Amino acid sequence: MSVEVKEIHFSYGKIKALNGIDIRLPQGAIGLLGPNGAGKSTLLRILLGFLVPDSGEGSVLGYDIRNQQTMIRRYVGYMPEDDCFIPGMDAVSFTSYMGELSGMPRQEAMKRAHEVLYYVGLEESRYRMLDTYSAGMRQRLKLAQSIVHDPKLIFLDEPTSGLDPQGRKEILELIMDISSKKDIQVLISSHILPDIEQTCSYVVILNKGEMAAEGQISELKQVQYSLYELKIKGEERAFLDRLTKMDSQVEQTEDRLLKVYLAPGIDPQEIFKIAVEEKVQVRHFVKSQTSLEDLFAEVVGVD
Amino acid sequence: MTIKEKGYAHWDGELQDGRFPWWPITRFGIKLTFKRKFFKFFFALTLIPALVWLVGIYVSERLEDFKFMMEGETDFLNVNPLYFKTYFTNEFLLFMVVMILVFCGAGLIADDLKHNALQLYFARPLKKRDYLTGKAAVIFFFLLIVTLVPGIVFIFFKLVFAGSLQFFASYPWLILSVIAYSLLITTFFAFYTLLLSSIGKNRRYVAILIFGVYIFSDIFSAIFKEIFHSPYFYLLSIKSNLQQVGAVLFDQRTPWNFPWYYSLLVIAAICLFSAYMLKRKVRGVEIIK
Repeated sequence: MSVEVKEIHFSYGKIKALNGIDIRLPQGAIGLLGPNGAGKSTLLRILLGFLVPDSGEGSVLGYDIRNQQTMIRRYVGYMPEDDCFIPGMDAVSFTSYMGELSGMPRQEAMKRAHEVLYYVGLEESRYRMLDTYSAGMRQRLKLAQSIVHDPKLIFLDEPTSGLDPQGRKEILELIMDISSKKDIQVLISSHILPDIEQTCSYVVILNKGEMAAEGQISELKQVQYSLYELKIKGEERAFLDRLTKMDSQVEQTEDRLLKVYLAPGIDPQEIFKIAVEEKVQVRHFVKSQTSLEDLFAEVVGVD
Repeated sequence: MTIKEKGYAHWDGELQDGRFPWWPITRFGIKLTFKRKFFKFFFALTLIPALVWLVGIYVSERLEDFKFMMEGETDFLNVNPLYFKTYFTNEFLLFMVVMILVFCGAGLIADDLKHNALQLYFARPLKKRDYLTGKAAVIFFFLLIVTLVPGIVFIFFKLVFAGSLQFFASYPWLILSVIAYSLLITTFFAFYTLLLSSIGKNRRYVAILIFGVYIFSDIFSAIFKEIFHSPYFYLLSIKSNLQQVGAVLFDQRTPWNFPWYYSLLVIAAICLFSAYMLKRKVRGVEIIK
């Protein structure tokens, strides 16, 4: 296991950010999913040793998160969420500087900086001052600095934030390339579901500082619940109340399509029984193909 | 060509656990300072007193040759501890040292705070003390060039121009005084600058602070001294405290009428306070509680 934490608790003053997180992450690309404020960035910062948990224990690449932060940071790459750079440098100097700080010899760091900038598609602008970079270029640069020292594990915090569709597609391609073909494990923290669905096979969903779900995306989508889409005619309110009381979650789209997330063990026939009892007509009933978005809505809750 | 086709290659080297992980920070800081507009001009200006004092040392050994230029008093050309103390504590030098700090020190931490770069540093195998040492070493580099280096050069050239070791025999402790005072002034200003640089995110604001605190501490101490007729108010002045301790280190009479160790205590207190504040303010993530 590259990342393993047990009973991690962390608070910012009186605000509980993480409440008893237990994770054992397998190899491959892993998505850390959750709405804003779920504790994703806090967890990443604890794994990097920026923050010390109030209680609990854990390890990253076999190094203890409380006592061996320096070793963790040597072999882990980190792409922060915030826009961050060092002014007065061009991309090559910056990337090579980051390599040197990771422990690479100066000449090697410079050579490697050219390679990774080429890899992320910044070869044309590698001698431009960072102050003049666009948001998309800075995002690529952050990825370049996170891989310059050839880490075994990369933490990517909201890697596609602020990118246009084309830039987002290219960054996701890079992430998939790194995680699938290069033996580098990637942990992506994001609230953008399609990004996670596209790049990861395993997902950890956090909600309000607690674990909401964890597992292979394909398994979670099948096991956790069944999703049905239906359209009805008649008095909706009582029908929806009954469905909700049945330990299901219901989401209504703008075109009045009802998405019903049925908990495991509940027979879909129950929906028809309730419809009969509440005197509503079911005019459309389809077992839907579930997506990560549906899983997310089910475990995090639908507004 | 799409990105994936370009390919990612693993690096086959070994990451090193260097003895001086802070050195890249220092090297980059020095390089960046030299790139700043007008810095070279100001830095050259700071070396003018050293040049004048050096010429003084030469003339002191050739007084007969320069007699036609000298009228009356030539005591100031006596190369002795007073001569060194005058160089190290002269107001122009201290003022120019502060100007150097404005150039090389204001943005050291402030720029990193402004651009969220601290997390980039601390995502590397760097400890807080490595980061601060790297930044402080930039200040040490520039200040030692205008303090320690001229001091040693003066002694060396005094011996060369005199053609004997008499000067060294007379004041064997002088080189230690030069080293001690240079380290004192450099250490103090390193803490002073890093503290102020960690307060703000705007390097211009920090530059004003570095300059303003130094100047106004002097102005206010003079005003209070005039009002209350007590020399103890000079303890409020950075410049006066450095001059007071400097005089003792060069075995000269102190300029102000109070114990020199009070000044040393003030300097030490500022350094300790700065260290405490830096420990609190410099961290990988900003925590808002």
